Amino acid sequence: MRARDTGASRRLIRWIPAIAAPIAIGVGVVLVPMQANAAVDLPDLTPAELLEFAASSEVEALSGTIEQRSELGIPDLSGLTGTMGGGSTGGSGDLGQGDGDGGGGDAAASATDLDDLISLATGTHTAKVYLDGSNARLQVLDRLAERNVYLSEEGAWIYDSAEKAATHLTVDQAALDALEAEAQAHADEAREQLEAELGAPLPTPEQVLDEALAKLDQTTDVSVGTDGRVAGREVYELVLEPRDAETLIGEITVAIDGDTGVALAASVTARGADEPAFSVEFTDVSFEAPDASVFAFTPPEGTEVSEHVVPIPTAAELEQRKAQAEAESGGETPRPVVHGDGWSAVVELPAAAVGAAGFDGEAAAMLGSLTERVDGGRILSTSLVTVLITDDGRVLAGAVTADRLLDAAATGR
Amino acid sequence: MSSREVHDGPLVLDARGGGGGTLSLLGSELLTLFRRRRTWALLGALALIPILIAVAVRLSGGPPTGRGPAFLDQITNNGFFVGVTAILVAIPLFLPLTIGVVAGDAIAGEASHGTLRYLLIAPAGRIRLLLVKYLAAAVFCVAAPLTVVVVGTLIGWALFPIGPVTLLSGATVGIGDALLRLLAIAAYVTVSLLGMSAIGLFLSTLTTVPVGAMAATAILAVVSQIMDALPQLEWLHPWLFTHYWLGFGDLMREPVVWDSFADNAVLQAGYLVVFGALAVSRFLTKDVLS
Repeated sequence: MRARDTGASRRLIRWIPAIAAPIAIGVGVVLVPMQANAAVDLPDLTPAELLEFAASSEVEALSGTIEQRSELGIPDLSGLTGTMGGGSTGGSGDLGQGDGDGGGGDAAASATDLDDLISLATGTHTAKVYLDGSNARLQVLDRLAERNVYLSEEGAWIYDSAEKAATHLTVDQAALDALEAEAQAHADEAREQLEAELGAPLPTPEQVLDEALAKLDQTTDVSVGTDGRVAGREVYELVLEPRDAETLIGEITVAIDGDTGVALAASVTARGADEPAFSVEFTDVSFEAPDASVFAFTPPEGTEVSEHVVPIPTAAELEQRKAQAEAESGGETPRPVVHGDGWSAVVELPAAAVGAAGFDGEAAAMLGSLTERVDGGRILSTSLVTVLITDDGRVLAGAVTADRLLDAAATGR
Repeated sequence: MSSREVHDGPLVLDARGGGGGTLSLLGSELLTLFRRRRTWALLGALALIPILIAVAVRLSGGPPTGRGPAFLDQITNNGFFVGVTAILVAIPLFLPLTIGVVAGDAIAGEASHGTLRYLLIAPAGRIRLLLVKYLAAAVFCVAAPLTVVVVGTLIGWALFPIGPVTLLSGATVGIGDALLRLLAIAAYVTVSLLGMSAIGLFLSTLTTVPVGAMAATAILAVVSQIMDALPQLEWLHPWLFTHYWLGFGDLMREPVVWDSFADNAVLQAGYLVVFGALAVSRFLTKDVLS
């Protein structure tokens, strides 16, 4: 009997490592983040002080990793869209049946754009950011592919490794400087005039901020939340909560680095939800200047390079355009209408404005599978924003419920 | 298996010798592993992947941009990409299959040959035997991806021009730098397969039928990849041992992004600890009858 007992207990002892290993890992997984979040206590600030602190931030250089997450409640179509060849596949609604392959090149382009938009609105994306003075680079890390945006004083490069295409945007620096100088002169002139009229200097930035906050307070509850940690750094949390019960948005939080005042994270949470519907945050960040080679870009061989010069108008041309636009607006051009105000405002695009840029072919098919048929149109509902495309071609959008949109479409209020 | 004589000969003798310790045991185990015709057949099959890709692209002239697996369209311009494409093609199925065969056979193979008993009579000790078997599988994890990239580079060099390489970021580096990156990719893949080897070793202690352990290991790798593709299981993804398998693309960026290398290593170490402990416990309590 005894021998058997010791045999059994020996067996049991030998299973200890197999049981202990997962437990140790589990404890580690729970404890490490807890440790990281423990005991952050920055000096207390009011929302106004925090905003002022953030505005006075003087960070010139940084490099870090950003993670963007979206849980908007749109179905993930990334697998689907890749396989959709022509324009006639999968059209599940009357939108898709409009004109089969009439669009040609334009339809393909708009489908890609829509695809990009949807891919941004679903899933997780990781990107590296580099910043040093006037040089900046955003490096979006896709699986086995990469998209880059390089910004420098000489212009901007956009490079897409999957498409093997580079776009070079340049501006005429002299024209830009001239425009800036003129704008500055105008601003100074206006300021002097105003000061002369008021008989006192203009309000300081702090006063402006206080006033803006007071105005914001009518619609939004602004507060400083509990201090936390983002990318291993101690941060303040600025919380904006809409007072309007009609909006879908529950709260917006911004994490501000307690040391440098740089915003390190932001998230939007839907009303009643626990997890943010949309969030961007640094997973690691360093405030040392990145190596200069990081910002260098020459398009590699075999790349399609398209050059664009962004035209900079002179001040006189701007005036002329403004006058022209004013003259035209008196006529037929439809303009977006805003119903309501604050957080539950609804924007309505009249039919004519959308008509020209309407979707067809593949884009329409995709739109058809994303939207839901309702009485009077099609609804695209996400956890934060709802879009209604009415049967007569108007588009209404807002951070409100579908019922509110339908109501606005019907009553025009 | 036909190589039985080779298989049990040196290992048993050395194990009985005892004095040489773990290293000599490992040496003889490696000798056994790489003397087996099966091991060479596995490596040969892996070497065929870049050869087939290179010959096919050479004959057909390559796909238009953006079709086929990533990097395939670049082969005609630069033979360097044969190795990268071959690794990419081999990762989902072929590499796990070969690792499954080697790791799944580790203990179950000896048991099915009736040689496990003799190995354990020697003072080698069960834990030491497991360790040696795992290390031998790990050496195969080094050899397998290395075979793919070396053969890929050679055949790419033979059939296509080789020159400065354009990275994913759009930067261009010299061929020397690029070959170093290719070696780093092979190392990444080796690390990726270590966790799976531990799983295979554990499954191998469960049975005396090696084919069962081999098949189960390979199937687990496929199931894990399928789960990794299901958005509904997103919470589970970072825990799957296949999750970072395609992350080697991060080594083709400028500057190199090491995050996924580190994450992958931590994940594989976790699998190694958990399944290594399971294998030890199971093997220590197992009744070895054959």
